[in-house]
Amino acid sequence: MKEILTLLKPRLHSFRNSGASAGAIGLRIRVYVFGAIGLAFWVGIFAVFFRVLTYFQGIAGLGDLLANKLLSMVLLTFTTLLIFSSIITVLSKLYLSRDLMLVHSLPVSPRSIFLARWIESTVDSSWMVVVYSLPVFLSYGIVYGAGPFFYVTILLSFAPLCLSVSALSAAVVMSVAVILPAGRIRTLIVAISVVLFVVLLLAFRLMRPEELTNPENFTSVVQYFQSLQTPGSPLLPTTWVYDGIRAALSRSTASSIFHLSLSLSFAGAAVCGATWLSEAIYFRGYSKAQATPGRLFAASPRRPANWRKVLGLLSGPARAFVIKEVRTFFRDQTQWPQLFLIAALVFIYLYNFSVLPLDRSPIRLVYLQNTISFLNMGLAVFVLTAVAARFVFPAVSMEGDAFWIVRAAPVPIRTFLWIKFFVYYLPLLAMAEILIVVTNLFLQVTPFMMVLSTITVFCMVPGVVSMAVGLGAIYPDFKSENPAQAATSFGGLVFMILCTGFIGVVALLEAGPTHAIFMAGMRNANLTLLQWAWTAASFAAAVGLCAAAVFMPMHLGEKRLSDLQ
Amino acid sequence: MKTVVEKPGATNGGVMIELRNLTKFYGDTKAVDGVSLAVRAGEIFGFIGPNGAGKTTTIRMMGGILAPTSGDILIGGIDMAGDPRTAKKIIGFIPDRPFLYEKLTGVEFLRFSADLYGVEEEAFLDRSARLLKQFSHDEWGNELVEAYSHGMKQRLIIVAALLHEPRVIIVDEPMVGLDPAGIKMVKDILRGLADGGTTIFMSTHTLAVAEDLCDRIGVISRGAVIATGTVRELEAVAETREADLEAVFLRLTREEAR
Repeated sequence: MKEILTLLKPRLHSFRNSGASAGAIGLRIRVYVFGAIGLAFWVGIFAVFFRVLTYFQGIAGLGDLLANKLLSMVLLTFTTLLIFSSIITVLSKLYLSRDLMLVHSLPVSPRSIFLARWIESTVDSSWMVVVYSLPVFLSYGIVYGAGPFFYVTILLSFAPLCLSVSALSAAVVMSVAVILPAGRIRTLIVAISVVLFVVLLLAFRLMRPEELTNPENFTSVVQYFQSLQTPGSPLLPTTWVYDGIRAALSRSTASSIFHLSLSLSFAGAAVCGATWLSEAIYFRGYSKAQATPGRLFAASPRRPANWRKVLGLLSGPARAFVIKEVRTFFRDQTQWPQLFLIAALVFIYLYNFSVLPLDRSPIRLVYLQNTISFLNMGLAVFVLTAVAARFVFPAVSMEGDAFWIVRAAPVPIRTFLWIKFFVYYLPLLAMAEILIVVTNLFLQVTPFMMVLSTITVFCMVPGVVSMAVGLGAIYPDFKSENPAQAATSFGGLVFMILCTGFIGVVALLEAGPTHAIFMAGMRNANLTLLQWAWTAASFAAAVGLCAAAVFMPMHLGEKRLSDLQ
Repeated sequence: MKTVVEKPGATNGGVMIELRNLTKFYGDTKAVDGVSLAVRAGEIFGFIGPNGAGKTTTIRMMGGILAPTSGDILIGGIDMAGDPRTAKKIIGFIPDRPFLYEKLTGVEFLRFSADLYGVEEEAFLDRSARLLKQFSHDEWGNELVEAYSHGMKQRLIIVAALLHEPRVIIVDEPMVGLDPAGIKMVKDILRGLADGGTTIFMSTHTLAVAEDLCDRIGVISRGAVIATGTVRELEAVAETREADLEAVFLRLTREEAR
């Protein structure tokens, strides 16, 4: 036990010392900003659940059924999140962390290393799910007037659920690690998770849930009631937690304690099982993880000549950077499933527009179609912003320890940043224009709206890409183990906030003149001189803002990288 | 070519490190090919070879970080596969690219290491103070590791490896990142430890260091040990009259590569 505590000490000391670190003030500001956002989110969850449960209580007969169904769905969602998060975290902690070589060279048993890592992994993967489940259960407790036993049950139910999920995830990861190198497992897990997510999303989308609001589709009320009452499998830990919480909510103490005992005993057994397994196979898997996984695809020997032909206009060093950028991006296997995910999201985005029930709207069709088209510009650029946050923002940090090559190369930092810009700009522009043109075709908008939205997106995309590259350079993290996660950092948050503001201001600048031009067209009237002046000024301001969004972040990013010691 | 210039009886009593037919495969690639060696107590054994020859893989297997595909590693007579914990207790392991917790202070890192090797508090205070002073690191003990230069990190990891007074030191490229004063200091300390009976197994690319410091040298190429012995014995094997290790090394590895 002492050994396990000692192995946990570096983490505890590091946490304590982070306040004394060089970037402590910045860290504190980040904690406050993220804390405020987190708190707002927490309160929002509570408010939504409180409102929904209060509404359910007002539905005679059906209210409790709906509340129970919601509870089981919430538990299932939390458990799914826990499983996903546990597998990824336990894999990193047990096989990929940078300190593992040091730890394995120490005279401690693999079991102690496993248990110390597993404890860290359980805390890391569960704390957020636990924190954000609390407002949900708090709202249940308040709406149903539950006593203190309910709140104790909640705490006692979640601990074994987290422990069980984490122990089972560790057992699965350790078993797979004996067969596959750890690097390959991570790719496999990410790929499987993304495929599952896309399948679920597509299935949900193709069910057309919007049709549920159409009363003509309800053929059997009995069938609906039956689906609400379907119980979960009695062999699943989530069922025990669900039954335990539901029993506590209805003050059936004995039943609640029984289900809690099931959860706790299963968690104990799962932890013991995983510990036993760690003694048998953990070190074997760790040893295997140190071998580099073989490449899935071999490079074509003819490629350099083709590259030269395609990039003939660029100077030698600039071409070298472009080739490096494209190669490293596509050879990073963790990028592939995410590209697949984006393709699926684009498909769903377009599909949504194809099934919009515009004909059932009480608002005049032409007006509605063009209003949606205008709003769609903002939405499409926002989707682009999210994609840029994941792929473009970390582009500078991705250089990692190899950033010295950039600094030593006979290429100015400015050129380096502009190369990054163009590598991402062209595919993202194509994606955004496809989204806009195809959705406009679905909406059958007027030619004016088609031209306006195409040009607006054309002007905004470079702004978003430049902000992603520039802010990525202002907030670089060359030491990160996983630079792709930079999107969730403080800099990533600043990028998202600035982009949202940029989209909002451009939309505001264009909204008034667009409305005036559109309405004049509908009425076959001409714009007044004042309206022309207003329109010209607004569009000029929008173009000016787009230009500023392109050049300012790049300039600031260049300055920051040049000043780096 | 496989030439072993082992003295008769060298693998008998007093052997602290023994590798028996050690082999490691990475997929289909044979990184280490049937390495057998014996290093006596108090001996400094240098392990040299070209890049990718299998030095680091061998050292990692000896440190218990990597499992061999086949073969045995005995440290002080203890089988690394059978009782890794006891075997590791007598080793001070210094890897080529050491990881240090950036948010710990130097002293906190040393205490962490000492706790895991079971060093008593009083002994820790005494030894850490002495070693930090010896390595001219005492002023930096309470600073976060993130503020250290590469050389300072290297000194700290060496101090951590010496805290529990190991009977065997396994070190991969000990001089990387050290300034000339640091190199001399480490050389003196290693020599002093060996004179006191500590066994040192050291891989290095710095042939001058190996020549100055090592009692015997093993040359590894393409995963196999192609020669072992003193510098003089290796010169004889390489059939060269040039009295420096560089010429011997180039001759032996070139012949092996043919």
